[in-house]
Amino acid sequence: MATTNATITLSSSDLTGDALALSTTTSLTKAGTLTGLTQTTGVGRKTTSATAQYTLFDGDAYANGSHKVYLKNTSTVATEYLTIEINSEQMGKLYAGDWAFFPWEANADTNDIKITPSVSTSLTLEYALFIDE
Amino acid sequence: MASVRATLSLSSAGVLSSPLNISVNSNLVVDSGSLIRAKVKGTAADTNDLAVYIANQCSERAYLYIKNLETELESYIYVHNDTDTGLVAKIGGGEFAFIPINPDKKHEVYATRVDTMIEYGVFGNDNSAAPYGGT
Repeated sequence: MATTNATITLSSSDLTGDALALSTTTSLTKAGTLTGLTQTTGVGRKTTSATAQYTLFDGDAYANGSHKVYLKNTSTVATEYLTIEINSEQMGKLYAGDWAFFPWEANADTNDIKITPSVSTSLTLEYALFIDE
Repeated sequence: MASVRATLSLSSAGVLSSPLNISVNSNLVVDSGSLIRAKVKGTAADTNDLAVYIANQCSERAYLYIKNLETELESYIYVHNDTDTGLVAKIGGGEFAFIPINPDKKHEVYATRVDTMIEYGVFGNDNSAAPYGGT
């Protein structure tokens, strides 16, 4: 069984009077079990070249489960973002240099994860999917 | 303005034939944010949900950190906004998410179990016209 750990650290010395310092770790497991996720897409990159919507992960291609998604906008231009859509709803905008990590249920074709770049010039998204199968 | 440094590390010795080590960070330039620990009462959408983000509380962009503090993986929390029908995220006990959220929409949480404890924080640029505590 593979063990994959995800650790998030949030820190700030100037947001509040008391310094923010949070660090927490979770093991990536299958839905409702302690069994580690054993499949992954690996770390990949997708470069877009239009402001069209792209399907990053097809919800119909994966079983209903607790997949884990990592995304990073590799752009260095502060105004460039990718709009993330999940379940046909806008999750939010991932701006240059920012990342996201979240579980994904993927139980139907309507559960696609889609991205829409803000620019028609080259924009690269880094991603990884840890698959609950 | 202030900055929040958000770092994610993903590591595994066994999920690929070569070790996986990803470490990324971003500096979020923000002027407001907090960490809150609270109980979720509601067990169905739109009934006793816990509001974690008020619509337009932040301008332009906002990031949500949320962790389900339950120890049982099957004790889920469900993050959704109050105008669409689908889920933004379903998070098992012990799991967390760090996501950008649509700043225009109120985000709420319900859970599998009454009184599920969560920890969450929203970081962004505060919109004084729609403060978190209301007016």
